Amino acid sequence: MQEIRAKVLSCEPLAAGLIRIILHAPEIAAQAKAGQFIHMLVPDHAHVLRRPISLMAFDKEAGTLTLAIQPKGSGTQIICAMKPGDEITCLGPLGTGFDGAGAQTIYFVGGGVGVAPICGAMDAYATETSHAFFGFRGAQYAYGMTQAPCAVSAVSDDGTLGEKALVTKPLLEKIGEKRPDLIMACGPTPMLAAVQKIALEQGIPCQLSLEERMGCAIGACLGCNVKIVAEDGSWTYQRVCKDGPVFDAKVVDMHG
Amino acid sequence: MADLSLNLCGVHLKNPIIAASGTFGFGREYDELYGISALGGISVKGLCLGGRMGNPPSRLTETPSGMLNCVGLQNPGIESFIEHDLPWLLTKDVAVIANFFGTSIDTYCQAAEAFAPTGVHMLEMNISCPNVHDGGVAFGVKPESVYEITKAVKQHAKQPLIVKLTPNVSDITENALAAQEAGADAISLINTLTGIAVDVHRRKMILSNNTGGLSGPAVRPVALRMVWQCAKKVSIPIIGLGGIESGEDAAAFMLCGAQAVQVGTANFTDPFACPRIARELGEYCDAQGVANAQEIVGTLKSY
Ligand SMILES: Cc1cc2nc3c(=O)[nH]c(=O)nc-3n(C[C@H](O)[C@H](O)[C@H](O)COP(=O)(O)OP(=O)(O)OC[C@H]3O[C@@H](n4cnc5c(N)ncnc54)[C@H](O)[C@@H]3O)c2cc1C
Ligand SMILES: Cc1cc2nc3c(=O)[nH]c(=O)nc-3n(C[C@H](O)[C@H](O)[C@H](O)COP(=O)(O)O)c2cc1C
Ligand code: FES
Repeated sequence: MQEIRAKVLSCEPLAAGLIRIILHAPEIAAQAKAGQFIHMLVPDHAHVLRRPISLMAFDKEAGTLTLAIQPKGSGTQIICAMKPGDEITCLGPLGTGFDGAGAQTIYFVGGGVGVAPICGAMDAYATETSHAFFGFRGAQYAYGMTQAPCAVSAVSDDGTLGEKALVTKPLLEKIGEKRPDLIMACGPTPMLAAVQKIALEQGIPCQLSLEERMGCAIGACLGCNVKIVAEDGSWTYQRVCKDGPVFDAKVVDMHG
Repeated sequence: MADLSLNLCGVHLKNPIIAASGTFGFGREYDELYGISALGGISVKGLCLGGRMGNPPSRLTETPSGMLNCVGLQNPGIESFIEHDLPWLLTKDVAVIANFFGTSIDTYCQAAEAFAPTGVHMLEMNISCPNVHDGGVAFGVKPESVYEITKAVKQHAKQPLIVKLTPNVSDITENALAAQEAGADAISLINTLTGIAVDVHRRKMILSNNTGGLSGPAVRPVALRMVWQCAKKVSIPIIGLGGIESGEDAAAFMLCGAQAVQVGTANFTDPFACPRIARELGEYCDAQGVANAQEIVGTLKSY
């Protein structure tokens, strides 16, 4: 974990409503793991809270981080309006990350902006028998498929890319053909809940990357806590920023 | 470099910068970023006997120049803190302030007593919690209730007792006076201001508790005004807080009459805020030609 002033190398559209930013951040890249995130200070003096953003890719040799950011509210809009040469203060890498050690076949599931951390997971853990399933609103929103290190099936909400379906449809079909050793998923809550249900019903190990609003992002303020359930039904709150953002699907309560 | 040290109720602080309760945990996470011994003190996450789960997500959100939180006082309990966290904290060269709360006068007193045999340097009593015996009105709202709880807890407190005042009252100086009359050794102010955040698209509250506590630079003018008013009324030391982000902000609170300050939300904007503010306060004093930072306390010129 390091606090640095990272230089913006590029800041360009990646897909509709999505900006790709490449940062020169060698200290963070050197320690990075797939599924981790950075906490970015909005480069004005008005935003009190930083914005948590996942690592889509990192290059330890070049010292770069690649991010995919949806300019949604005022903070991400300011971040996405940066120009090459600008500097931005970032703390990272933060959180646990995905763990694909020992898995022969992994199915990766991403939805929308949640495809970004899944790209990082694929770079780290994809094998020949692995397969990715991406869901986008439509073809113009799609990204992350051309340089994928394993096969990708994409679906869309409007039918302009692949089948008009939820991403769980091709996932279920593929599981019917061949059971994976592990599923990794990131995306909107309903998608994660559906993937969790499939994984639990079929007894497939599964890691889900969660989002929650954050204060400190280092585990001190308890602002980002989510409900984590034990096998005996008891539960506790755990921190998305420090104990996550990646959690075992078995322990996450997607409804609490 | 100016001398920033002070004696607060008999406790030596190397500088007047204290991490505010709830924003700094028990110091472990920030200690991974810098040595927390750089601080004058740490007010730990609010503690109660037996611990508390807190509220479901979402627990916080940003607001214009500030933030709202409804963490709900999640904590592992005083017992767990004393066993697992305090021994570590006491190895650091920093004053440890145990921020605590209860749900009745009895549980407040028991909480204060639980710290008596420990090495904690000071107690900070959070009286913004609802009094279950008084229709849920917070202990800190009515001056009579501030007096009653401070008087009772003081008898069980071995360490100096700081009473942390809520700003959600009609006249905070009455409550400051009530705390002083009941025997408080110091007061700290302000706790958060109650607010809400609305998601207009979903037509829904953003925070799980509906209401939350506002903090950050947005509250600073209110906090400064309250510290200034209280300083004119009480003679016990005042710890000022609310939106402090820089050494000059800290100086403003001291000019209004605060001997020491606390830094909360600024830790989120800049995880190195506390040591930076201590350094900047020193620079401010040097530029002002002040040898000891305490010289500026209460020296604000009014119009
Ligand atoms: C671990 C993690 C990784 C993330 N990775 C990415 C990513 O790679 N790309 C991307 O575009 N987005 C990502 N997000 C979501 C992103 O952080 C939010 O969209 C962003 O903070 C919203 O800020 P804003 O200025 O657009 O919105 P505003 O409406 O101005 O935000 C107000 C406040 O709410 C918080 N907030 C609002 N929505 C979210 C959310 N979904 N998650 C967390 N905080 C939120 C903001 O941080 C801010 O404090 C991630 C979130 C988390 C927790
Ligand atoms: C996330 C969060 C949690 C807090 N928890 C506590 C607490 O447990 N006890 C307490 O007395 N104050 C608590 N506070 C209030 C702060 O200590 C402080 O009074 C307030 O935030 C104003 O200071 P600031 O503007 O510097 O943050 C909390 C504040 C925040 C933002
Ligand atoms: S954001 Fe502070 S504990 Fe996670």
